[in-house]
Amino acid sequence: MNNPSISGVCKKSEHFSRRALLKGSLATGAGTAIPNWGGLFHSQSIASMAQKLGKRCILLWMNGGASQIDTFDMKPGKATAGPFREIQTKLPGYKVCEYLPKIAQQVEKLGIIRSMRTTSPDHPDGIYHMHTCYKQSERMPHPELGAMIAKYLGQTDADLPSFVRMGPTGNAGSGYLGPRYEPFGIERNGNMPYFTSPYLPAANESRRNDLLRFMEAEHKKENPADAYESHRVAKERAWRLLKAKSLFDTTKEWPKHQELYGASDFGRGCFLARKLTEAGVPFVEIGQENYDSHADNFVCHKANMQILDPAWSGLLIDLERTGQLQNTLVVWMGEVGRTPQINNRAGRDHFIRGWTIVLAGGGIKGGVVYGSTDADGRDVATNPVSEGDLFATIYTALGVNPRTKHFVGTRPIWATPEGSKPIKDLLL
Amino acid sequence: MPNLNFLRIKLSCLLVLACGTLSLAQVAIKQNKPESTPLRQTIDKAVQESWKKEKIKAEGKCDDSTFLRRVYLDLLGTIPSYDVAKKFLADQDEKKRDKLIERLLNDGQFSTHQTTLWDLTLFGRNPPNQDATRNRTLFKQWLGEKFTKNEPFDLWVRDLILAEQEGSELYYAQFTNKPEDLTESFSRIFLGTQIQCARCHDHPFTELLQKDFYGMTGFFVRLVVMDQGTSGSGEKQLKKFKIGEKNSGEVLFSGNQKELKPGKKGEPIKPKFLSGAPLEEPTLPANYKEPEFKSGTKSMPKPQFSRKEKLAQWATAPSNPFFAKAAVNRIWSQFMGRGIVHPIDNFGTDNKPTLPDLLDNLTEQFIAHQFDTKWLIREIVSSETYQLGSKGENKESLPKHFERARIRPLSAEEILTVMKVAGGDPEQKSEGSTGEYFRRYFGEPTNGLGDFQGSLSEHLFLNNSSNVRAFISRKKGNLADTINLSKEPWEQRIDQMFLSVLTRLPKDSERAKFASYLQSEPKSENLVEEAIWVLMNMSEFRFNH
Amino acid sequence: MKNTAASKSVNFEKATLLWSFTWDADWVSAVSFIGDKHFAAGNNLGEILVWELPEKPETIGEPLSEKSKPADKSERPLYLSPKPVRQMIGHSNIINRLLCAENRWLISASNDHTVKYWDIEAKPSGMAKHVLNARTIEDINRNKNSGRKPPTPLEAEVQTQAATKTIQGREWIIGASLSQDETTLITGDDAGQVVMYDRKTGAEKKRWQVKDWAFAVAISPDLKQSLVSERYPLVFDSGRHTAVKLWDVATSTVQHDLSKEFKDMQIASAAYSRDGKILALGRGGEGEGKIFLIDPSTGKKIRELSPIHQYGVTDLCFHPDGKHLASTGRDTVVRIWNIEDGKMVKELGKPRGGQFKDWFHALSFSPDGTRIAVADMAGYIHLWEFR
Repeated sequence: MNNPSISGVCKKSEHFSRRALLKGSLATGAGTAIPNWGGLFHSQSIASMAQKLGKRCILLWMNGGASQIDTFDMKPGKATAGPFREIQTKLPGYKVCEYLPKIAQQVEKLGIIRSMRTTSPDHPDGIYHMHTCYKQSERMPHPELGAMIAKYLGQTDADLPSFVRMGPTGNAGSGYLGPRYEPFGIERNGNMPYFTSPYLPAANESRRNDLLRFMEAEHKKENPADAYESHRVAKERAWRLLKAKSLFDTTKEWPKHQELYGASDFGRGCFLARKLTEAGVPFVEIGQENYDSHADNFVCHKANMQILDPAWSGLLIDLERTGQLQNTLVVWMGEVGRTPQINNRAGRDHFIRGWTIVLAGGGIKGGVVYGSTDADGRDVATNPVSEGDLFATIYTALGVNPRTKHFVGTRPIWATPEGSKPIKDLLL
Repeated sequence: MPNLNFLRIKLSCLLVLACGTLSLAQVAIKQNKPESTPLRQTIDKAVQESWKKEKIKAEGKCDDSTFLRRVYLDLLGTIPSYDVAKKFLADQDEKKRDKLIERLLNDGQFSTHQTTLWDLTLFGRNPPNQDATRNRTLFKQWLGEKFTKNEPFDLWVRDLILAEQEGSELYYAQFTNKPEDLTESFSRIFLGTQIQCARCHDHPFTELLQKDFYGMTGFFVRLVVMDQGTSGSGEKQLKKFKIGEKNSGEVLFSGNQKELKPGKKGEPIKPKFLSGAPLEEPTLPANYKEPEFKSGTKSMPKPQFSRKEKLAQWATAPSNPFFAKAAVNRIWSQFMGRGIVHPIDNFGTDNKPTLPDLLDNLTEQFIAHQFDTKWLIREIVSSETYQLGSKGENKESLPKHFERARIRPLSAEEILTVMKVAGGDPEQKSEGSTGEYFRRYFGEPTNGLGDFQGSLSEHLFLNNSSNVRAFISRKKGNLADTINLSKEPWEQRIDQMFLSVLTRLPKDSERAKFASYLQSEPKSENLVEEAIWVLMNMSEFRFNH
Repeated sequence: MKNTAASKSVNFEKATLLWSFTWDADWVSAVSFIGDKHFAAGNNLGEILVWELPEKPETIGEPLSEKSKPADKSERPLYLSPKPVRQMIGHSNIINRLLCAENRWLISASNDHTVKYWDIEAKPSGMAKHVLNARTIEDINRNKNSGRKPPTPLEAEVQTQAATKTIQGREWIIGASLSQDETTLITGDDAGQVVMYDRKTGAEKKRWQVKDWAFAVAISPDLKQSLVSERYPLVFDSGRHTAVKLWDVATSTVQHDLSKEFKDMQIASAAYSRDGKILALGRGGEGEGKIFLIDPSTGKKIRELSPIHQYGVTDLCFHPDGKHLASTGRDTVVRIWNIEDGKMVKELGKPRGGQFKDWFHALSFSPDGTRIAVADMAGYIHLWEFR
């Protein structure tokens, strides 16, 4: 709803604090438990199972909340329709917005959920909720989808981090899974974050690192404790990442792929995601800025969709071409949908009663349009889907048990809330 | 001594407490004179008995190097300089450890370190209300004075609850308009009770009910945070507050969160001390109207009846079964790593103390010594248990039966301090963002279970940042400079490096390796910098052990 | 919008709201006089209606709709509005601009990718019925609890006609403008295409590509220079990807790139003065509605007008007398400015309540300069007279 004091005008300062959260440390507020229990872990068997399947996940994050009624759930002829028109897709009887022509051609790969009914209407809570499937107000350190996937689908000795992200993304971090699964943020052109450029020449680095290895080996003889080992392992991972840094550099290859993905930062990010998943990174997230059109909704969405369309379809085509699509789940979502009602700023406000999220690729039955909203798009008509249901579907598609259990202190916590059901119609 | 399970204290007992009188026959804690056996021996006896019982083989005493570094970090939050280390290791005095402890306890940095520890406990890394809590200089000043004077623990906590002294108000200001959050924080820190589960439903594992949570909140619901103005700007922006208390205002309780329906009204809950009886308080006249609090008000008169004062009395009373025990357990864990009840803020029927008698003992003695924190710390670090070795086959960081010294990661503040000292310039000014980076990369190194996890960003920072390099690279008078300029044989210079950074001498194998490394090129400058970097990047350096 | 005829001298200080024409089918998005006796309005549905203005306004009547009750009684229109007489049928999406040439030809630019010509003198081919306050009635009926009674339906029967000419484009045609002498039509679309036409024949004279979407377009009286503003609104309020350039028409090259001066500003409206010495630029979107007068020969700023419109300018129009400029924006206010000294001489309308105001979408001066018509998103066309 149009609540100007909170989200009506997305001020720059709001963007700043979100960015700070992204870069910053885990949020364990003053009231959170500092748990320390040898809790029960469900993880080992799941991890090995999921790893065997070699599944990957790419999340296209529509920051600000993309409008369902202007993309996949058009309502032509209604007062709420707006100036966008529909175009035919490969699915008979199903039409999408004219500004997604390439995606319309890829609709046989898509599992389109039009009946999302969620409960966090604003940005910080919505972003949190749609990244973790839990409410931010619970004040538990929930991990984002990426961290969970990193844990269960990642290789422990991989050179590359298991959770990579670019652009505006989530705000929850790796939560109770710990810093090992923290997201590794890079720029969409592959530029690395701070502190990835060694200041020593390679030869000096190398001999210095070897000296450290020697010292650690000596130390380990009498000090086998896990904490030290964790430190050593992390250091080796950091070194391996620096060695593999070149994989992130797309300067040479990008010109050849630019036409397919579209000449945009987001498109380039999608291309990099394809490369990274090909190299074994199990989870990559790319954020697109910005769909939060409380004013001038149509021009804003049109501009963003013209970037989204080739990038997303290009990604699907490229994944198919390289044989990766059947093992790579591509998730398209934002934190909220947008109101059917057009406000007096020519905008649409936040809307959580019936909106759209799209899945494609690994484990997903394509060409399925699941659930529906009513004639004006004001509410879900059939098959409401909660955040937990969505995550259960995603986890199931990737071979991870949606009821995977961890402990925070003495409190058990599951990957999805009780009652979450994967959507069978969308799963292969 | 009877085993205290305070959640089963009789209702009558608590009613008596609530009225402020004590009946020795009913209250289980004795108000004795201090015992004649030094506490350190009591500790060791209890721990050693448990090893016998569990058939555990414990480590022997740690060597001097280990002790020196460990106790410096735990008491001062820093490591000894090369000179201090050298001197201590050469000292033949049998009583040198005790004397060192005494020196450190009287060092100005001791109270600074305690202040830092408690400040972090009370605020955490990301306290709410950032505008107010970002700059806590006044609060730390207030708290620092308490530790410098060695103010009894119960007295400074009481002052914190009353929040009438300048600087102390910030703790409450964190939770402006959020009495539930304040309740969680307070109960967790000072009563060892994690009651946030009971915020939404009856606690699944303890006997705490939702009404108990909201009963505690009743003490805080009338508090008002009054902004006294802001000075300075940006990073230095300082906000001041005063805490007022209304005459009326109740917590409304509306039942299990899951069953909440819109429009359901809550019923007011009387304040009560956890599972005890409700507070007796005079009733307000029926037509009492609370004067409207206008935002911007800077002061208000004291209420006719102050729940806050009642809380301050009850919370810090020796007879409060939660308070002294939680305090002792927490202070114990600062040095021993693992609390006798662990997690330290989660006492409950399902989380029993590993050494219940010892815990009782510590509690009673702490009370008998008038909550003298310094005394308690002295006893703990003087015990053999604290001075156990840190090597061995046990892979846990916090061995359950204290059979080996604990391993804990240094805090971000400690790492920053220690790098400066190790680098040879303890007063080195670091560029503005350095503190922030250290906090960001080293500040939260544990997962949801509290286990240490090395993170990628931490190592990238160590590997490549100029911030870290600044502490190592050669500057006039620092370690790298001294090593480079020294005419001593390399073996001795290597000893100096190890003592400066790791507070120990190298093993023969290490010395030999370094000697060959440092002479592998005609010019030693780069090699020396690299070697110091290696020592600072070791896992040995990262932890206190 | 512009007219070669000399205008009567006009006293802006005395302005009366003669009529508020109700038409609430959707936002009224464009308006243009066709001669002094007619005006046309377009809306977001692509509908265009034409009204004929009576010689003598009828006597006072009550405001016709309850939809927006102006607090200030002086804002109520003086007269009962005549009903529309004609509908131009053909467009299927938002009418972005309405222009008029020779007091006869109505030219419309739309989101349906076309520009259409309509001849007011053509014979109508059919009839259509409209209920001009249908939405208001619907809203009131839907909210039965409000206790408001629905007003009597305002029925109108109009003659309909088709377009004389359709020029097909590829994208939303947002910017459209006529030269001072009405010989040249210039349009700009969301494919970044700027096209100049011979207005009479509709034949394309010149076309060039700009980098982003063309937003406001204008052509100088001497036909040698063109202003094109660009936008690519990836974020609704930050004005990312904007440009403002003065182009040499003959060579389709940039004469002056003013983008740095107007950094982050989406220039929504541009108009050359009659003598070509001043170019008025209005900043649109939700930022501050600033208006700049620049010297088109150098691109330098002459002055900035004050007070600014809240939340962005939607339209600018020079008065036939050549000395005054009218502006309107997303604050339901019209301002008349003296361009010589930059002072405001009159303000019409009032901002409506709430943090975000309604918009006046477009405005048009009558050829004789005595009247101004304003398109109101709330479903009206307001017409003031200056005497």
